[in-house]
Amino acid sequence: MNEELDSQLSAMFDGELPMAECELLARRLSRDEQLKARWGRYAVIGASIRAERGVRLNADLARRVSSVISKDPNIAVRFVERQAARAASKWIRPVAGLGVAAGVAALSILWMRAQVPGETPELAQVIPAAPAAAIATSTEPDSYVVPRPSPRPSLVPATQLANYVVAHSEFSSPVARRNLLSAFMTGEAGTAGASNGSEEGSENVYDDAKNPAQ
Amino acid sequence: MSADVSDLSLVRRVQRGDKGAFDALVLKYQHKLVKLVMRYVRNPAEAEDIAQEAFIKAYRALPQFRGDSAFYTWLYRIAINSAKNAVVSRDRSPIDYDLDRNNPDESYDMQGRMKDSETPEGLVLTDEIRSTVNAAIEALPEDLRTAIVLRELEGLSYEEIAASMDCPVGTVRSRIFRAREAIDRRLREVFEGGLGRAEELG
Repeated sequence: MNEELDSQLSAMFDGELPMAECELLARRLSRDEQLKARWGRYAVIGASIRAERGVRLNADLARRVSSVISKDPNIAVRFVERQAARAASKWIRPVAGLGVAAGVAALSILWMRAQVPGETPELAQVIPAAPAAAIATSTEPDSYVVPRPSPRPSLVPATQLANYVVAHSEFSSPVARRNLLSAFMTGEAGTAGASNGSEEGSENVYDDAKNPAQ
Repeated sequence: MSADVSDLSLVRRVQRGDKGAFDALVLKYQHKLVKLVMRYVRNPAEAEDIAQEAFIKAYRALPQFRGDSAFYTWLYRIAINSAKNAVVSRDRSPIDYDLDRNNPDESYDMQGRMKDSETPEGLVLTDEIRSTVNAAIEALPEDLRTAIVLRELEGLSYEEIAASMDCPVGTVRSRIFRAREAIDRRLREVFEGGLGRAEELG
């Protein structure tokens, strides 16, 4: 028998072997009957030194337990099922996490849009009224009127949305986050251009994204 | 470092379906578990049966073991519960004097196990193992004897033993190993000459 191996076995028995070596030796121990017998005798030596009265030192518990376990097919099935579940969860968890994060982000955007005061009622009033007005003025020549820009922003400021995305960035992938921020930036530029013609809003998006604490 | 590390590596192997790794855990803890159960039941054969039941329950529950606590702590709790349940069910059920008539197989099996643990041969072998180990320890050089006794009797870690013996941890490891080897050489003769059980333990 290899002396180094036995020395490792002794240290492993005492829980004094490094984890990496333990992994290798555990593998060998579970297969090598001679090594296992030696391991069993180390336990007997310990029990003798501790003078565990009433304990049979030649007990065959290991063999009895092993015999019961090998006759129980349900146990093996349970281990296999557990392993399969563990393997599946490796894939399901990130995908589910991504899905949840995307769902939360989409809901949050919809909710924040719905929070703009007067947005929905105004649309509701304008849309049904439009055909009637068109019919009433049908005698006039066709014309195109550029709508006047609204004095207040029609959407939640893009900076606010960007802050939200950055604050919850741990739940989204970098690519999705970048796309979303770009969309906000473009939206802000459009809104800002319509209202006052400057690009301050889009610059703020970048600044806020870089410094979420601000 | 603690026993958790080596136990955990064996536990992980069992969780991957390696039954042989569980044998190693049973071999390591069987005496401790029987001793623990004997706080609740006096009969050594009954204690062994309860310990066996505890090991099987532990094996069945091992897929759910996450390693949050040490394996032995977890096993200890299972054994305590098994022992308490055994005591309660024994107290509830009246003593059946007609075991042979009701279930002859079980009765025979129980008698067989009681004989096995309490026969003069069984007791002699246990005594022989003890006296062999004690004699081997007496014959050890003092530094080896101190190291193995501090480890097995006092449960000190290698680091603690190194501090108390004023030597490096590597020396402690070597001393304990050499002590075990010297004792094991004598013990193997008993096992091989006795019931030849050494190779069967696995």
